[in-house]
Amino acid sequence: MSRTPRQSDRVNLEETTVLLIDDNPQSLDILSSIVQGFGVREQIRCMSGVAAKDIIKRRQIDLILVDCAMPDMDGYDFVRWLRRETGEPTSMIPVVMVTGHASQSQVAKSRDCGASFIVAKPLTPTVLLQRILWLASDERVFVQSANYVGPDRRVNNFGPPLNMPGRRHDDLSAHVGAAVEANMDQSDIDSFFKPKRVAL
Amino acid sequence: MTDARTFKYRTNLARKMSAPGGRTVADAVIKAEAGVERHRAAAMTSVHETLAALEAVAAVRGEGGQRVYDLAASMLDMAGYFDTGPLHGAMFSLCELSSRMIEADRWDWPPVEVHVRALRVILDDDCRDTEGSRAVLDGLAMLVRKAAR
Repeated sequence: MSRTPRQSDRVNLEETTVLLIDDNPQSLDILSSIVQGFGVREQIRCMSGVAAKDIIKRRQIDLILVDCAMPDMDGYDFVRWLRRETGEPTSMIPVVMVTGHASQSQVAKSRDCGASFIVAKPLTPTVLLQRILWLASDERVFVQSANYVGPDRRVNNFGPPLNMPGRRHDDLSAHVGAAVEANMDQSDIDSFFKPKRVAL
Repeated sequence: MTDARTFKYRTNLARKMSAPGGRTVADAVIKAEAGVERHRAAAMTSVHETLAALEAVAAVRGEGGQRVYDLAASMLDMAGYFDTGPLHGAMFSLCELSSRMIEADRWDWPPVEVHVRALRVILDDDCRDTEGSRAVLDGLAMLVRKAAR
């Protein structure tokens, strides 16, 4: 993931097609206003996971924003279907899930469904835009296995991007960077692998 | 153990966003926030209506826990696009409380009623973050912790 975006950075969503899914029409209106503010010209709105499945089969979509809690087919089941039942590249469309509250029973579903990000409310345009910018430079590998299909969930090991509040001292860096010390001697490296007698 | 396939990929979103053009982050956020603000009055009306429905359910202790959770989650969904200060904390607390009691199959109305009254007090006080509202939230958190035992 990239650094925190600067206010002067540019974001170009003009040519993207965004699918918005939420069963609450008021909430859908608000989401729609947000992505319009971001500069998205083409957005498709639908009010159920079932209707979204039909759209996905017919249209090329670049980004999906979906509410987690919906009747009939919730957001988790929709993303699971998208990741497992559609072919490439549709199955790899970035998905941001939006949730107000995740009940105990939904926690495992949210972890395993394959969403790119899950954003909890309160949701501000700044947070949503940051997630979209992260998606544009997402360095995670895509995983296809019997139990999980989606972006690598171990992203948390990397922590927030460099120079961002919340980074822990032992977070890994996705960027290796230039060497800061001289190379080790081969004998030193070998010594790491040689068994040594130790006193017990 | 089953085989897992892992691979790097570049999405259409990344490709299109890397093209020159668009607007600055600052401009995008300002325009989006202005768009959200246009919905504030209607959204808060909806929050008031949902709280009235919640009060009606709590008053007769009817319809069961799932209805309480659904109404609380609906309020949280709608108000979650705006800065509603302590109201958000109280709504989240009621969602957490009702969710835990449903999972444990141990429904108890009094802590729910306390939450509903707290929501009314906070909403009638224009969602102001005060010493009083913080004390209310502390009390609600204690109720949720007790329900989790």
